[in-house]
Amino acid sequence: MSSAPFTLTPAADAAGGLTAPEAARWAARCGLPLAAERHAPVAATAQYIHSVVSVLRELDFGDIPPAAAYRAGEEQHRAAV
Amino acid sequence: MQPYEMTLTAAADAIRQRRLSPVELVDSVLARIERVEPRLGAFVTVTAQRARRAAREAEREIAAGHHRGPLHGIPMGLKDLIDVAGEATTASSAVRAGHLAGADSTVHARLAAAGAVLTGKTHTHEFAYGLTTPQTRNAWHPSRVAGGSSGGSAVAVAAGAATFALGTDTGGSIRVPAALNGVVGLKPTYGLVPRHGVTSLSWSLDHVGPLTRRVRDAALVLAVLAGPDPRDPASLPGAYSTGPAQWAEAKSESEPDLTGVRVGVPRTYYFDRVDPEVEAAVRRAIGRLEELGAVTTEVDIPMTRYIQATQWGLMVPEATAYHERTLRAVPDLYQADVRVLLEAGELMPAGDYLRAQRARTLMRREWSRMLADVDVVAAPAVPVTAVPAGQETVTWADGTVESVSDAYVRLSAPANITGVPALSLPVGHDRAGMPIGMQLLGRPLGEAVVLRVGDAYERSQPVRTPVSPVDATAQAAPAA
Repeated sequence: MSSAPFTLTPAADAAGGLTAPEAARWAARCGLPLAAERHAPVAATAQYIHSVVSVLRELDFGDIPPAAAYRAGEEQHRAAV
Repeated sequence: MQPYEMTLTAAADAIRQRRLSPVELVDSVLARIERVEPRLGAFVTVTAQRARRAAREAEREIAAGHHRGPLHGIPMGLKDLIDVAGEATTASSAVRAGHLAGADSTVHARLAAAGAVLTGKTHTHEFAYGLTTPQTRNAWHPSRVAGGSSGGSAVAVAAGAATFALGTDTGGSIRVPAALNGVVGLKPTYGLVPRHGVTSLSWSLDHVGPLTRRVRDAALVLAVLAGPDPRDPASLPGAYSTGPAQWAEAKSESEPDLTGVRVGVPRTYYFDRVDPEVEAAVRRAIGRLEELGAVTTEVDIPMTRYIQATQWGLMVPEATAYHERTLRAVPDLYQADVRVLLEAGELMPAGDYLRAQRARTLMRREWSRMLADVDVVAAPAVPVTAVPAGQETVTWADGTVESVSDAYVRLSAPANITGVPALSLPVGHDRAGMPIGMQLLGRPLGEAVVLRVGDAYERSQPVRTPVSPVDATAQAAPAA
């Protein structure tokens, strides 16, 4: 038994979202050639992820910097301890 | 009471006073594993020989007057993302076939130095990328999900197959299975517990922490795990206060008292789309905190519209990056649900990832403001108890439909994004007998307060069943 971790919306092709051929082309550009049977599920999942994440475009970030895990300047200090 | 039923605190006291030998305790836990494991599927590997050897060594050391501390001779399970030298770290995945860890993770090295005894590696949802752990059955009902991704660790602790265990938490993976199996789970402050030697799901969201039967037990384990390690770039510098450990080891015969503690009760988000039985149990528990002297005040959770987007915007590309080589070399060895997410992650633009990073900066600031007015925030750990295995969605009273995994992540994600400590502890059962968890969130490095509040609640309640009734549920519903 394996449960899908996330619910996927219906394939986005009809709604003007990511099509299966587009997903295949983008993946290939990223160095991940996909077999034909992977195109549709990857496109649907990528479209759903896009629909979740794109809400962040509403935010005006101004000068806000990213919060990354890496904090420069502390590594060397710790290494000397 | 059998030794395998003892809490860590009780077992540690008994070993220190030489009323219990580590050999007796480890033998009892190994026998329990043998008895319940066929029904639960919590372990990838049981390290019985290694455990018996370590237990004899602990017994000899303690007899010679060298007692290393409260974890000396205590049996533990480690989620199978955590490296132990000479053992495989399978991540519950065929991708890792033939793996052998060449060195200890920092957390195992620290636990081993404290004398804890490894009895086995526990199942995870493949590479921690999921919330159900399908290989493992819930400790309270064999046809319900274990939760995940640290499902094996939570089930083992709940069923008496480990006195404590470690899990990892990227979007609730300690707190979710803890809540679904009626045990305590602590996601510490980001950077407090080093992740060196622990397989990553998402570097900027990953945490390692304990799963135990009592809050006090979690404090004892945390004290051993916490502290800087230059090999983890997120590791917090400086000495970690041993406050929680001293507090946990202190004899506390006095009545639990929370006078003056300010408890924030969310007006938004944490009680939206929550099962009524879960909400009722958590509100009852908050009422109990008030009876113990705590002052409650309503708080507004900031930026709730952006929580899921931020969590996914960070997790998805980081996970895909970690798996870049193996996704190209052996894609067929991944489970279907994990594979498609890793593949789709390749298509996320860098701009989305940066927006998520910047949203996290904003969210941390806003949470810091909110937490300035309260000592802890009390909320449900998960919006629904353990669902039947195979159930894909939850339908809420407002008619909305949510995937089970989205529902289980929803109330956990804020603490992963902001890095604040979050404790899940049992606060009752629903009508079906499934455990309900309450979450206590604190300020960064506020573990001592979170643990104190959780412990006070726990001590004010009747003592819980020491381990889950695996035998009874197995008879009631044999083959799941």
